[in-house]
Amino acid sequence: MATEKTDVVIVGVGAAGGIIAAELAKAGMKVIGLERGPRLKTSDFEPHDELRYFERQDLRPNIKTDPVTWRPNTGAHAGPMPVLNNGNQAGGGTVHYGTLSWRMHEDDFRVRTKTVERYGASAIPDDSSLVDWPVSYAELEPFYDKAEYELGVSGKAGNLQGKTIDGGNVFEAPRSREYPMPPLLVDQSAILYEAGAKKLGLHPFPSPRAIASVPYNNRPSCTYCGFCQAFGCHVGAKSSILVTKLPEADASGNFKLVTGAMVYRVNSDNAGNVTGVSYYGPGRSDNTIEADIVIVAPFIYDNTRLMLLSKTDKFPNGLANSSGHLGKHIMAHMMANVFVTFDDRYVNNFMGPSAQKHTIDDFNADNFDHAGLGFIRGAQLSIGTPNLEGGPIAASTIALPPGIPRWGAKYRDFFAKAYARHGAMVAQTENLPYPDQTIDLDPNVRDAWGLPAPRVTYDWRRPNEKARVAFVQNKLMEIGKAMGAPQVWAAPVSPAGAPGAHHEGGTRMGSDPKDSVVNKYSQTWDHPNLFLVGSSTFPTMGTGFNPTLTIQALAYMTADAIVNKYRKNPGPLI
Amino acid sequence: MTKHDEGRRAFLVALGAGAAATTALVPEAFAKDQKQHHAATDAPPANRGMPPAMQHMGGGHGAFFNDDDARTVTAFAERLMPGEPGKPGATDADVLNYIDLALAGAYADQQDFYRRGLTQLDAHCSQAYGKPFRRLTAEQQDETIAALEQGKAPAFVWPSAVAFFNTVRTHTMEGMFADPIYGGNKDFAGWRLVGFPGAQPIFTEDDMKSPKAFAREPIVGLQSRAKSKEG
Repeated sequence: MATEKTDVVIVGVGAAGGIIAAELAKAGMKVIGLERGPRLKTSDFEPHDELRYFERQDLRPNIKTDPVTWRPNTGAHAGPMPVLNNGNQAGGGTVHYGTLSWRMHEDDFRVRTKTVERYGASAIPDDSSLVDWPVSYAELEPFYDKAEYELGVSGKAGNLQGKTIDGGNVFEAPRSREYPMPPLLVDQSAILYEAGAKKLGLHPFPSPRAIASVPYNNRPSCTYCGFCQAFGCHVGAKSSILVTKLPEADASGNFKLVTGAMVYRVNSDNAGNVTGVSYYGPGRSDNTIEADIVIVAPFIYDNTRLMLLSKTDKFPNGLANSSGHLGKHIMAHMMANVFVTFDDRYVNNFMGPSAQKHTIDDFNADNFDHAGLGFIRGAQLSIGTPNLEGGPIAASTIALPPGIPRWGAKYRDFFAKAYARHGAMVAQTENLPYPDQTIDLDPNVRDAWGLPAPRVTYDWRRPNEKARVAFVQNKLMEIGKAMGAPQVWAAPVSPAGAPGAHHEGGTRMGSDPKDSVVNKYSQTWDHPNLFLVGSSTFPTMGTGFNPTLTIQALAYMTADAIVNKYRKNPGPLI
Repeated sequence: MTKHDEGRRAFLVALGAGAAATTALVPEAFAKDQKQHHAATDAPPANRGMPPAMQHMGGGHGAFFNDDDARTVTAFAERLMPGEPGKPGATDADVLNYIDLALAGAYADQQDFYRRGLTQLDAHCSQAYGKPFRRLTAEQQDETIAALEQGKAPAFVWPSAVAFFNTVRTHTMEGMFADPIYGGNKDFAGWRLVGFPGAQPIFTEDDMKSPKAFAREPIVGLQSRAKSKEG
């Protein structure tokens, strides 16, 4: 058994772990990053291949070797989830993501207080664990700004230091300065969506994306090839952690990346401190790293799983679990789709950045009056491509309009005509946290290393959620009609209750050690030298917005706290 | 993955050449010369007189399927995506070859799914029509596929009729629209059908601004580029 010593070990070098690795290494700390997958290069991503990367998900965890199981409730049998959306390589999900880079609104950070103020406590479902965040927008703004500038986000401000700017998102929280790059070019679907939404008095704008719209930090600008979500960028214009923070970490001289490393335990002592991690390396070698600080930063399943796998006699319910909240309050965005086709014009949505190209924020968060609607919170409403990707294999999976069968000559003729003339709209809705939506260890299914698989127990079909999904899907129908599309139809919404995208929760952050797992610095209450970072810490989904930029801003905040506070005075930051 | 399939295919073709008396494998060049659209027949005219084991389906197979199953899958896929003049279908795109290679490679864990599914399909068709699926009329094949899609085929246990239908449909779409390197989408038949230009590394601002069909050649594949439409 090989044993190594270092200042900091980071498990998972993705959206959060990659930022912390670079920031700590640049500050002079010795950092080892452990990554389950490989480290790929930009040249690995050309040419693009829809079968390999979209259909067979070559940049995601292999569901056979790394299964995650799901069941709708504790009485049901849990079976392997067919699709995992997290990444499986250095850079994590930022290598293959759709690059949507959103800030949350100011009031999203005090969602319980604001909801009660506006609608009364009865508006919140009795069984929901909706809470305020322990961090404010004002505290996080400098780190949002840092993420946008250091990584590289293209967009248009809608609120510059309190001044509303047309053409940007007029609902956004005040930002201290403009985006570092202008928005990407709009495609035909965005032009149609913009016109339709404006006809209805709504406020469309180009989605902010972590893609270089102009050459940026020695990286070239986007080529509009259309292969974003599910694919690596073949020119390095996507501002992934792979091409932004990992080179910074390398250049520091203080960073070492170990690929093919499956961490199976965080080690701890009887004083309550963690002492490092153990992992299986290439060739199934068994290795241990001793570290002063342990940062656990994989996707949310493995944050909870690793804490449960690390139980000891002193911590029989797993590490970081004195509150009993570990593995609870799991959330996911539920997607509702509406499709449009045109007869007399092409849309060609295989061109341009593929995911959620153009957006309205009018029906997101609490940006509209929910009085009498029977639900709280909302959705990001965007136009883009089916399954966030514009190739024909993805398009062959869409729900069809009434009267069109799934096969035969009629289907063929529909598909032949509609493929280059369709638009795909999605409402990405913010589901509330509920304590009985959980991750634990599956007693029956093990991964390729013999470790119990993470088991998700989750059913989105709550009354509040169903009412919201129906409302926003109807809004998309209205926009589709306003776009002048002769054919507009809605897809059925995940009838079995399976979780959608952007899973969050399991190690929720809070202000009180009794009802949360970490503080606002993602530091565990129970073990001051153990940090759990990423969207597992989100106490609510925040919005219908994609979570990555908030994950990244929180990671910068954690790194800042470690460098400027913890290093001088190791111990609880709060 | 792609290299793996290509390599496996080259290996199997070489193996077939050395053991021709006992396999149905034929060199790819030979397969390409044959007429297509004979899904419902057992022995294409060009093959009559050859020993049964030497006959082939026109579409490529031999990495996994036996001859009868190859005929069944060819017929099934063609009903899902039928070809017409100017509208290439599953046989034109060589969907059979795609599925055959996939089951010998990336989808090897689904071999039993197909074996059992095809056996159940013929059991269902024998009960309903007294013949296996590959010998039914196109109308009867359509009735059968509809019954599977709706879960109204009691001969199916595992895989279920719906699961079998869904899988064959998914794999047919992959064979129509995946890059030709995987054995289907022959001569970009599927991409031409729907107007997808392939893995274009760049679209220009003018491309993005146009509400017209994108018609610039060539279509770009992983190892090949389409000749111009006239070519």
